[in-house]
Amino acid sequence: MSEPVSVVIVDDHTIFRSGLKADLDERVRVVGEAGTVEEAVAVIEQVEPQVVLLDVHLPGGLGGGGREVLTRSTALLPRVRFLALSVSDAAEDVVSVIRAGARGYVTKTASGPEITEAVLRVAEGDAVFSPRLAGFVLDAFGTAAVSDVADDELDRLSARELEVMRLIARGYSYKEVAKELFISVKTVETHVSAVLRKLQLTNRHELSRWAADRRIW
Amino acid sequence: MSIAHARPPLVRSEDRLVAGVCSGLARHLGLRTDVVRWAMVFATLLGGAGIVFYGWLWIMVPTAAEAARRGARRPASSIAPAVSEPAGQARTTAPPAFPGAPERPLRLGGHGREILLGTVLLLGALAVGTGLLGLTVPLGVVVPVAAILGGAALAWLQLDESRRTQLVRGAGAGRWVGWLRLGAGLALVVAGVTLAISGSQWNVLGLALLASLAVLAGVALVLLPWGLKFWRDFGAERAARVREAERAEIAAHLHDSVLQTLALIQRRAGSEADVTRLARAQERELREWLYRDERRSGGAFADRLKALAAEVEDAHGHAVDVVCVGDASLLEGQREQRERIEALLQAAREAMLNAVRHAGGPVSVYAEASRDAIDVFVKDRGPGFELDAVPEDRLGVRESIVGRMRRHGGEATIVSGPDGTEVRLRLAGIGTEES
Repeated sequence: MSEPVSVVIVDDHTIFRSGLKADLDERVRVVGEAGTVEEAVAVIEQVEPQVVLLDVHLPGGLGGGGREVLTRSTALLPRVRFLALSVSDAAEDVVSVIRAGARGYVTKTASGPEITEAVLRVAEGDAVFSPRLAGFVLDAFGTAAVSDVADDELDRLSARELEVMRLIARGYSYKEVAKELFISVKTVETHVSAVLRKLQLTNRHELSRWAADRRIW
Repeated sequence: MSIAHARPPLVRSEDRLVAGVCSGLARHLGLRTDVVRWAMVFATLLGGAGIVFYGWLWIMVPTAAEAARRGARRPASSIAPAVSEPAGQARTTAPPAFPGAPERPLRLGGHGREILLGTVLLLGALAVGTGLLGLTVPLGVVVPVAAILGGAALAWLQLDESRRTQLVRGAGAGRWVGWLRLGAGLALVVAGVTLAISGSQWNVLGLALLASLAVLAGVALVLLPWGLKFWRDFGAERAARVREAERAEIAAHLHDSVLQTLALIQRRAGSEADVTRLARAQERELREWLYRDERRSGGAFADRLKALAAEVEDAHGHAVDVVCVGDASLLEGQREQRERIEALLQAAREAMLNAVRHAGGPVSVYAEASRDAIDVFVKDRGPGFELDAVPEDRLGVRESIVGRMRRHGGEATIVSGPDGTEVRLRLAGIGTEES
């Protein structure tokens, strides 16, 4: 990993953009910035970064914010990865960008090194779950342990996935999760990616109902 | 029947033959009830003045119970609810030509039947009296007048009823009854007027009735768009007012909290700890305000836990992130259960306090309430400590966390290592609500 990861920062607050740029370390190179939905779509298409740091709330477009940027950049999705970044803790904000294709979610209060770490992880193709996002997932899928769940079953989390989610919600890093469960970090990443996929693909009606019902967590 | 010495307010009495008008009047005037009654009958024989007066008092004077209720709630309205006499009259004298007059909705409180009986008796007496005096009132006059009075009464009754339901906020359910009543009243009035004009020629009635209905329908059709527009404008205006009120509330909130905090931050710019604490507290408050869920009932476990975390955060200026899954109610269930949950909350608070005091970096709190247990995890990234190395006199961990949980039938585990410390609390055997 000698080459720094190319990143586009999409956020409507210039102060926040410049602050974030200063916080990210040398493993990341900022190649573009955007402040509205239209700018973002154009810049992303033009520079094709490895990772887009995407604010959930953005002016412009049809008012869809970060989600709209994602849906309008679907063609680039496999190559360009999106990491949602928001001050909002609202379930509908978080879950909607994830379902639109973002590979992870971090809050804006996260420190520079944390965000850098998350960017690198997303660039590798892994998912980034904050404790809060893990909490959403547990809330949405239910915490009851289910024994044998087939991998392609989208409505449920396997017992292992549940355990991983729970540890992440408790504030464990991937490394700590791996240590706690006596598995490798790579396996943890696999589990998290599987959960992300389920979150994106399931059309379990409880999920949408849950997202509509709850606005806090 | 008693003679009053002071002058009581004029209300219809419960001690009554027809509607309590006479005895109420007697009590008000300080006369004997039977004197008033006979005077009323006598006045009735004089060209019907008595009955008109009686009817007027019946309409305008509230019953004692109503008066008391109004006095308690709001200033008296001059239109008393019981506008029932003409309606009764219409029923008793109306020929079978008006079978559609709705008899059911006329139930007034519990006294409908008595009022009806009274009206029938009164009218019977009236007929006999006029017969004796040699006056014959032609049916052609009585029927239209009765119909008009009855119809008007039905419509009025509707008005009053709707006001009453508005008062009780009884929505929707009885609305069709209201419409039925209005329609029947309208039909009665139209039929009565038609009859009166056509000179009681029954054969013309059907045709004329049809014509009037057509006219009414035409008027309704013409007025409908106007009425709808009026209604929509009214709705839009109301919505705008609500929005304006919301905006004002937001502005007030921003002013009260956010601007004040920003001012405070500028003044304390020198102290980093203070600035962080202020910013964090304001952030939490704003978040709570923006994303709060009105439907959530108070006293829930998750809310309490968050409030405790906020308290700890404020006291120490150290971020405590809370993630909750599921929720448990603190309001339902047995007292013992609530006490156990309360103990769990206090233990969690102690753990959070420990974490912010002794560890650097973020403190993560995760709570999971499932069907049969509540788990709380408090994790920090401090240097860690050995439970056995904690001196006996330090009550914090040993007593307020481990001991408290044990006393309430829960468990507390403390796992400490170089990466930080995690306090795990578990309370089993709790019936919780589904998330």
